[in-house]
Amino acid sequence: MDVALQQLVNGLTVGAFYALIALGYTMVYGIIRLINFAQGDLYSVGAFIGLSMLSLLAGLHLRNPLVLTALGLVVSMGATGLLGVLIYRVAYRPLLRSPLSILISAIGASLTLEYSLLLIYSPSFLVYPSLFDTGGPALGDLVVSWMQVTIFLVSLALMLALYVLVHRTKLGLAMRALAINQDAARLMGIDVSRVIAATFFVGSALAAFGGVMTGLYYGQISFLMGFLAGLKAFTAAVLGGIGNIPGAMLGGFIVGIVESLATGYISGRWKDVVTFGILILILVVRPRGLLGERVVERM
Amino acid sequence: MRRFAPVSVLVVVVLALCAPAGGAQGAPVKLGVPVPLSGGSAEAGQDILNGARLAADQANARGGVLGRQIEIVSADDACDAQQGVTAAQKLVDAGVVAVAGGYCSSAALPESGVFHTAGVAFVADASTNPQLTEQGFDNVFRDIGRDDQQGPFAANFMVDDLHAHRIAIVHDNTVYAKGLAEATRTALAGKPGVHVVFFDAITPGEKDFTATLTRIKSLRPDVLYFTGYYAEGGLLARQFKALRVPGEFMAGDANNDPTFIKEAGAAADGVLVTSAPLAQFLPEAKAYIAAYRAKYGHAPGPYSAYEYDAVNITIAAIKRANTTDRAAIIKALARTTDFKGITGTISFNAKGDRAGVNYMVLEIRDGEFTAYRAAA
Repeated sequence: MDVALQQLVNGLTVGAFYALIALGYTMVYGIIRLINFAQGDLYSVGAFIGLSMLSLLAGLHLRNPLVLTALGLVVSMGATGLLGVLIYRVAYRPLLRSPLSILISAIGASLTLEYSLLLIYSPSFLVYPSLFDTGGPALGDLVVSWMQVTIFLVSLALMLALYVLVHRTKLGLAMRALAINQDAARLMGIDVSRVIAATFFVGSALAAFGGVMTGLYYGQISFLMGFLAGLKAFTAAVLGGIGNIPGAMLGGFIVGIVESLATGYISGRWKDVVTFGILILILVVRPRGLLGERVVERM
Repeated sequence: MRRFAPVSVLVVVVLALCAPAGGAQGAPVKLGVPVPLSGGSAEAGQDILNGARLAADQANARGGVLGRQIEIVSADDACDAQQGVTAAQKLVDAGVVAVAGGYCSSAALPESGVFHTAGVAFVADASTNPQLTEQGFDNVFRDIGRDDQQGPFAANFMVDDLHAHRIAIVHDNTVYAKGLAEATRTALAGKPGVHVVFFDAITPGEKDFTATLTRIKSLRPDVLYFTGYYAEGGLLARQFKALRVPGEFMAGDANNDPTFIKEAGAAADGVLVTSAPLAQFLPEAKAYIAAYRAKYGHAPGPYSAYEYDAVNITIAAIKRANTTDRAAIIKALARTTDFKGITGTISFNAKGDRAGVNYMVLEIRDGEFTAYRAAA
């Protein structure tokens, strides 16, 4: 029983990271029907900017780990958010009317980010400072660190905040209007480009949060880290029903837990086979994903 | 105009005769070094390249080889089979007379095929998969041990020194890691009272291995032996300690890199690593370490000393062959006997493997690799 519980905890932790990245995929798809392949790489960029910030602050003799983390997160999320907007402006906006070109542009943006990180930072991986110890609540044989608890809770809170943003604010109303019909939204006086830019900002900032937390929790980041994570997050978004925010969260956690259980009870070598097998099965039965029933009114 | 024709033909002929001959006299002798310069093993690759450059610089200071300077040409193989083939082809096209280098076996194996086709000698300094010298290629040599030697060594150590009965083996499905894992399992199979309780792979490039470690924890191993690379090894050691998995954490010779310690942090303490002797444990390598530090400002990494020897063995072979002809260099390399290197005396056997290799167990203590000493 302990083992199963532990695997659940492991899966929820990994799943939280997938979910954070998946949200960006799903938001962008919901609004402009673009699979933003650069989403996973924005997660890497967030991790690297966070590392730069932490190194800078360490140089200024700041020691308090909470202050360090908070500053690192704010700067990284802000900067990565702006980068997301920049990518939209440069690589996507001119191509909004040509679905195939914009997809290629997204792949280009992804590779550009990956290899910029390689050139600017390191062709190898970098090591994050360890600000927090691995301690956690005493639960017998079950190992949970405070850090895992924090990652899980903050991720949930961010996702909830996002849900509120989309469903309870004016900006969110504009986003949803856009998702239904761009031209009609424009006629209603919505500044389409600004709303899309805001969507990119929020999606990228969430990925950056995941990136910094990855660095702090696992201690290691690399320019290609967004590739595999992005792939899994994309899977999660599709599984949950792409375009659907609670679906992306659910999908992220499901992919994380399935991976963990497949590794624990079948084999690490078969993990991806099992995960993607389940994905195919679900999509065959429910082509729109778990929560993607209302196609017209996405998000 | 007609009158000038014979003259111009003569000029062309004279130029054609002079240019290559005159050029060859001054042109440097190119040695190829394929190594990973990007990806998880980039540090190890850069150290190997540094070792090769140091060897070439020192040889050039003594007048080079056959009166010509030596030039090191590097190519990034990223530890990847496809990129390795491209890198090898790039070196062949650049006109290298021989190749000394490599790190990951998954790249070195396909590279060896390209070099074989091109008839270029390949002296491997760090790729330990047995297959490399089992292909029947006459151009492949290596100055380091094989994983079917390391595996039994690790097995004996776990059973005889650590008195382990329950052993978990984790690899990462790469050629090297899987080969070492299987060699270790085979060596353990004959030992009474010893069980391999876990044998599975993790995925390189991922960061969370807690699912695998949770399974291992439930099996209560005495030792976990990880045969993959340090990029994942450091993370694995960290999560091993965090999850409070019982037993020792032991890793193969792709984890003897200082980056492993940086990555694992406090969890590195007490980790055991099976390895070919590192430069600091080699009495003949003192001058090399000093020269390396002076030139690059940091410690030489685990395999650069073997690369330094590989380059020097190749230079010695070129001298013996007294030509830069690729085939002649291969023949000369095959006759390498009792070469006095910084990693010891090196002779190649019929397969091209180094005769009489040593292994040692490293223990990480206070952030340093130290020679393992049994607890009193």
